[in-house]
Amino acid sequence: MLKIITATAKELLLLLRDRTGLLVLFLMPAILVVIITLVQENVMELTGQKKTQVLLLDLDQGDLGRSLQTQLKTGNLELVVWDEKQKDMAAIQAAVAGGDYQVGIVIPKDASSRFKDAASRLFQQGKGTENPPDSMTTPLHLFIDPGIMAGLRSGVTAQLQMALTVMSQEAKITILSKTLQEAMTSLHVPPEAAPLDSSRLPALFGQPLLTLTENPNSTQTTITSYKPVQQNVPAWALFGMFFTAIPIAGSILQERNSGIWVRLMALPVSPLVLFAGKAVAYMGVCLCQFLLITLIGAFLFPLLGLPAFTIAMNLPAVLLTVLFSSLAACGYGIFLGLICNSYEQASTVGATSVVAAAAIGGVMVPVYAMPHIMQRLSIISPLNWGLTAFQDLLLRGYSLSAILNDLGRLLLFFAVCALFSWKLAKRQQ
Amino acid sequence: MNPDNSSLPEPGPDCADYAICARSLVKRYKNAADPALNNLSLDVRQGEFFGLLGPNGAGKTTAISILTGLFPPDSGTARIMGMIFRESEHEIKQILGLVPQNIGLYDKLTARENLTFFGKLCGISGKKLTERIEQGLEFARLTDHARQPVATFSTGMKRRLNLAVGLINDPQVLVLDEPCVGIDAQSRNLIHEQLTAINQRGTTILYTTHYMEEAQELCTRIGIIDNGRLVEEGPPAALLQQSGMYNLEELFLHLTGKELRDS
Repeated sequence: MLKIITATAKELLLLLRDRTGLLVLFLMPAILVVIITLVQENVMELTGQKKTQVLLLDLDQGDLGRSLQTQLKTGNLELVVWDEKQKDMAAIQAAVAGGDYQVGIVIPKDASSRFKDAASRLFQQGKGTENPPDSMTTPLHLFIDPGIMAGLRSGVTAQLQMALTVMSQEAKITILSKTLQEAMTSLHVPPEAAPLDSSRLPALFGQPLLTLTENPNSTQTTITSYKPVQQNVPAWALFGMFFTAIPIAGSILQERNSGIWVRLMALPVSPLVLFAGKAVAYMGVCLCQFLLITLIGAFLFPLLGLPAFTIAMNLPAVLLTVLFSSLAACGYGIFLGLICNSYEQASTVGATSVVAAAAIGGVMVPVYAMPHIMQRLSIISPLNWGLTAFQDLLLRGYSLSAILNDLGRLLLFFAVCALFSWKLAKRQQ
Repeated sequence: MNPDNSSLPEPGPDCADYAICARSLVKRYKNAADPALNNLSLDVRQGEFFGLLGPNGAGKTTAISILTGLFPPDSGTARIMGMIFRESEHEIKQILGLVPQNIGLYDKLTARENLTFFGKLCGISGKKLTERIEQGLEFARLTDHARQPVATFSTGMKRRLNLAVGLINDPQVLVLDEPCVGIDAQSRNLIHEQLTAINQRGTTILYTTHYMEEAQELCTRIGIIDNGRLVEEGPPAALLQQSGMYNLEELFLHLTGKELRDS
């Protein structure tokens, strides 16, 4: 144990003396987490996970426009209403085509009266046997930026379509209610003898009979929606942690390529003790990295207009995940230091493998957004195990028991790396 | 002269009188045409200053690596103070000191920190460690530079500290692999003086070098190794007398040939 402490102290001393290296270790994930989160905030808007701005030009200025605005108030669209006296349809078309706005909607002049008229005529035609002609519909003009993602396009059109359907239904029910009332009056049916109060029809039709319940079996009281901050802070902290594999490998290669390794192997100390010293020292670095990135998420992000990162729930489990992830990263670094022959080799192999593991692990793009084959591949990435554990804790609100599998995988990865490293060290002697 | 080293007498049941006792060591590296060690037998008595000489690729470093337990031989046995690595690796390493050819020091640590680190790994602590560190610094004449990082040292200072670190555990057997490469005459002279003093205090020294005059000056006995075999051994003066050569370099070239050894 004393020898592990000695080896750890030496590693920490060497790290502290290499200020440039230390700065890179902390600066790199810190810069990445800020940039990527800022970028992803915008991506969230583009993918419809944040309110999307929709331009509205109401040339009609009637009930239809007011009703549409009321309907969209509760949805995920933010209406930007243009003044019809200053703008026309060409302007809205140009704004969308130029990429200033992704969606624009124009309510043509006299659309409200045409709409009401069409609704009235619909019930008059209801007496006949023929279907109502298409010319009865009132066209609203929609402009969509061809560059927007398919998911956002369908999300926006679905919300608009839903609003229009509800407005059409309301108009029909209003006419139906009025028609029924007129019929009962003409038949001299006293109001108390009528089977239903026709004036209450709109309210009755508005009563939902089917509802969607989200995650009915969840023990959570509130379901947290996806937030890039909660995803990015642990994801890029993990990325930074696994990048420490390169300086660990570098420190081993420096020893191997000088007389230090030969001297160490001739001392009454096992290579495993030396590896343990390195692992403990760099796990400390990883913990500090996570702390720094957490502080950036909690205090710097709000200053940049981003939501603050919160870690309040299940802190011990989060720290355990950090610990196991850093253990896996250190194991990989030690293995890298023994399998490579030069620092150049280790930095190239290390950087490439960590970036690849981060990519397939879901650090850069969520796993569910990947092709099926990549989704299946993602389970071999240690970064995926760490990230899944973090997401389970921070996004899904699960407890420690839910992440035990992922922690076990990280521990096993470390054990396998340590075993191979020990074998390699013995062989290289 | 005794070129056939396989006829060396068996030195007692446990090589008890010998600090180093190697018998029929064979080591063949992967993809190498010839073995690095080809039935090498070598004895170094306790308290002896033994010089191991040989051209490049003769097998000196392989022999040292086996004798310090860095790797095992393919066949044959090596005993240090009567113990073999397979059975007593930890005990042997406690009494063994190695000074590698490449400087085995952390550049970013100071002289004192290097001595402290390697001393603690040898299991030394407390007052004993402090004493050994001071002795090491004094030995290397680096007391005034104890707080300086090794990176700022000259090659001579690094070589002296490299040697001091090899002595931190006060070894009974000290193995030095070309400890004076690339240093000035002053540092070399100091190292020679210090090694002689250590040897006189009873430490057995196994020393490899390419400098013949160094071997002649320091060693009580030398062994010349070539192609993985010991081709000659004995006290330098006796070898010169027997061979009729003027100096060790002449004898060395006579035994190992003048052909360049670039591989």
